[in-house]
Amino acid sequence: MPPSIHPVDLITALRHKHLTPAIVFLTSRRACDEAMETFDHADLVLPSARQEAIAVALERITVQYPSIAEHPLIPIVMRIGIAAHHAGHLPSWKIAIEELMRQGHLDAVFATTTLAAGVDFPARTVVITQSSIRKSRDFTDLTIGEVQQIAGRAGRRGKDHVGFAIVTPSPYIDLTVLTKGLTGQPEAIDSQFTISYPMVLNLLKAHPHEQIQGILAKSFAQFQLNQRAELLEQKLDALRAQMEPFGPRVCTDWITQWHTFDHARRHRHTRHQTHRSESPEISARLPFLTPGRVVGLSRGRGIVLRQYRSKGQKNSMLTVLRPDNAVTECPVTSVKEIYDRTYDCAETPTYPWCPTETFDRLSHQLEELPSRLPVLPILRSTSIEPLPDAIVQSLGEFPCPTCPSRPTCQKDFVIASRLRQEQQRHTKSIQALRTSLWHRFQERVDVLQKFGYFTLATQLTAEGEWARLIRIDHSLLITELIRADAFTGADPSLLAGILASLAHDDDRPGAFPRISPGLSSLLGQVRKLAESLSPYEDPPLLRADVAALVERWVADPTLTWIGLCRLTTMAEGDIYRLLARTLEFLSQVKTLKSTHPGLAGSASQAITSIRRGVLEELP
Amino acid sequence: MNTDELEQLLAQQPVALLHRLARGRVHRHFRAGKKRLIELLLQHSGQNRVGLESDLQTLIGEQHSQSESGLSHIHRPPAITHKKASPRGAERECAETAVSLSTWLEGLGVPSPQPFVPDPWQSEALSALNETDVVISVPTGSGKTYVAVEAARRAIDNNRTVIYTSPLKALSNTKYTDFSRIFGPDKVGILTGDRQENGQAPLLIMTTEILRNLLYDAASGEIDIRLDTLGLVILDESQYLADPERGVVWEETIIFCPSQARLLLLSASIGNPQDIADWLTSIRSTVCRLVRHSKRSVPLRAGYLHPNGKLTPLFRTLGIPYGHPSQLHPETKRLFLEYEEETLPAGRPRR
Repeated sequence: MPPSIHPVDLITALRHKHLTPAIVFLTSRRACDEAMETFDHADLVLPSARQEAIAVALERITVQYPSIAEHPLIPIVMRIGIAAHHAGHLPSWKIAIEELMRQGHLDAVFATTTLAAGVDFPARTVVITQSSIRKSRDFTDLTIGEVQQIAGRAGRRGKDHVGFAIVTPSPYIDLTVLTKGLTGQPEAIDSQFTISYPMVLNLLKAHPHEQIQGILAKSFAQFQLNQRAELLEQKLDALRAQMEPFGPRVCTDWITQWHTFDHARRHRHTRHQTHRSESPEISARLPFLTPGRVVGLSRGRGIVLRQYRSKGQKNSMLTVLRPDNAVTECPVTSVKEIYDRTYDCAETPTYPWCPTETFDRLSHQLEELPSRLPVLPILRSTSIEPLPDAIVQSLGEFPCPTCPSRPTCQKDFVIASRLRQEQQRHTKSIQALRTSLWHRFQERVDVLQKFGYFTLATQLTAEGEWARLIRIDHSLLITELIRADAFTGADPSLLAGILASLAHDDDRPGAFPRISPGLSSLLGQVRKLAESLSPYEDPPLLRADVAALVERWVADPTLTWIGLCRLTTMAEGDIYRLLARTLEFLSQVKTLKSTHPGLAGSASQAITSIRRGVLEELP
Repeated sequence: MNTDELEQLLAQQPVALLHRLARGRVHRHFRAGKKRLIELLLQHSGQNRVGLESDLQTLIGEQHSQSESGLSHIHRPPAITHKKASPRGAERECAETAVSLSTWLEGLGVPSPQPFVPDPWQSEALSALNETDVVISVPTGSGKTYVAVEAARRAIDNNRTVIYTSPLKALSNTKYTDFSRIFGPDKVGILTGDRQENGQAPLLIMTTEILRNLLYDAASGEIDIRLDTLGLVILDESQYLADPERGVVWEETIIFCPSQARLLLLSASIGNPQDIADWLTSIRSTVCRLVRHSKRSVPLRAGYLHPNGKLTPLFRTLGIPYGHPSQLHPETKRLFLEYEEETLPAGRPRR
């Protein structure tokens, strides 16, 4: 079985169940075109009456849009009553298809899911073949809103009792995405507010600097940020209530007080451990606890075999021979008495820490010991070295050790400090939420000041006055280009070419027509400038092929649309969109007629030369 | 009871019951689907057939008494009862009522022409628009355009200018044609970056970017007569507010929209239309009215078309079971599983 249904079978099935007219959403333009090709030899011909109706309708549309008269898809549309509708087509062709669909002449339209929002015509049935959509090179699952937007095209008011959304699987379809999308609540939408350079210029043109914060506060972005801030404030209130029992005690800020005290204490503690400075009593004993010494432990007596330091132990350790040949390890602190009796004992580096014969002898001697032994009096050395520790000294300055509320402080500290940390975190984020837009605005202002569009008092300079009229993407690059006199003396076609490469943000590969030396050197200049501006503004793609294409269209008024399309591998619809976008950019440059009359003049010339043929059909 | 009978009986039970039965009998039973679960239970039945059968009977009995007594068993904590009982009950009920294809296809056809009567929400939106800004969030294809047209007609009758914006040039063009047909070509104009057609007409169509630019020009002192008499701004497809690149334009437009003009935001169904309305209320002089509903004017049914050409309903219910995405039609479930097994490379788990 094929991995997905064959388009011809699909249409046959739909027709058979009377589910036409239908819109079939496919993954890509290519999928749409390939689906159309499968009908080349299909045996699904419409009755001649309907074919004629389509021809009549098409003729009527052709009067308004002559560019579709010779469209290669017309025969198949007429023969089978199906069409493709995607961004690769000319707008006029899409309008024609929409019109045919609205009049009910077509049985099916293959459209791309990407353009679902632009498909503004209903049908009885919508066919969904995929659960993900290509968004900037990546496939992401359709959102609930998108699924409902797609499915919503089904069911024409007044023409259908019910609409049908039909899922047909293709490889890697995820049915749950679609069922959830069909049955779920659409997602909440979030503000995507960004602060652009033209926005900053225009705001500061119309309003004094002090009012800007108030204007930014009116944005949906700030509204949503405030909502989040309010949530945090509620949390903060709850925290405050929780903090109440931990209010001021003997000292007002006991948490900090205890925190520093505790820290100092701990710090001292760790130092203590690393130095292993034992108490004077113990350290006085150490020289006597040599191998062969008889000592009294809490239970019974023993003979020291060795003295050592162990990493995990605070005190020095002893290995002691106990009665019954037992060898035990114990810290020096567990030694109760040190007797005035030693035996000869040579140390060895391994268990049992002395030669075997010595061991036997010692154990024998241990058993033979009399019940009473003279205790060795050990004098504590008086000169105890005081800890030269600043922290320990400062401990005396803390009131905590003697404070009456010390036990409660000690007990509550863990909870109280966690609460307070949370409180501080929330306060910080609330502040960030309330002021983030303003900070972003201020960043933009700084950049514009640096480039000389603003005076230090945030007044628009003469440059700023005209720069604010450029309200398109990459505005900083365009205004900087104008200031660098990059376009001075450039003829309209060159200007249009450069603006086209700035305007075109599609990375669909296209072929290269031959690029003129003037354009390529100017493009190199633009590229250099764009690179140097990249810390402040994302550089555009600056594709040379689209620049050359538009330059040709403007420079050569005899070039026909078909001729232009032959120059490149780009789809017709893409070329149209490229030229339309270039028109938009040019019309912005045209508004600079009072400050840059020459530039505005060539922009307006370029506009008139672009507006011909297909581009004249639509406003 | 022989093995075949037992298998049949097991197959008739809802999968939740099988899981309860498998508890303590089948290791990691929660990982198994129904088919596999039955297999495993049958394997296990070799060890203690009598115990399994009697447990099964008890569980079935329990379930019957549960569904009959409804909510009457109070001895259980109510939350759990509800959780456990209702989906199972629903599932069983649906299994009985899963629609057949013929029922599903019923009602197909063209309704007899009826005089157009505006939906209640449409009249509500229109009357609200007399006083305040309105946000409309309704499913695609419910008739937002009707509201836009009527609102525009009223404003034009009052000698006010109306601006209609759409996110795409293609949509602008379509609307230009449509509105010219409705209002007459002299009443409708269209503005693009470099062109104006009938730029002094009372109803102007443009993309939202163009309107934003007009508003910026007006704010910085360039007088535009059209903005002075502006009575209504219609922003179609307002869900573009969330567009990563262009959403900001909608916000700018709404912020700088003159206060004497009413705002009409038309949007497809979105999750938080109340937020949009609250936002408008907070920045505009009047309280914004939200009109929303989720019922489509033409009901929608979902189907599943298998690559072999077999058509089945997608869900058990006739319409779309809102809020219950897992109520798939049993036939569809089977076909899709089959499809997945065939198309997915062996040994690769579904993501």
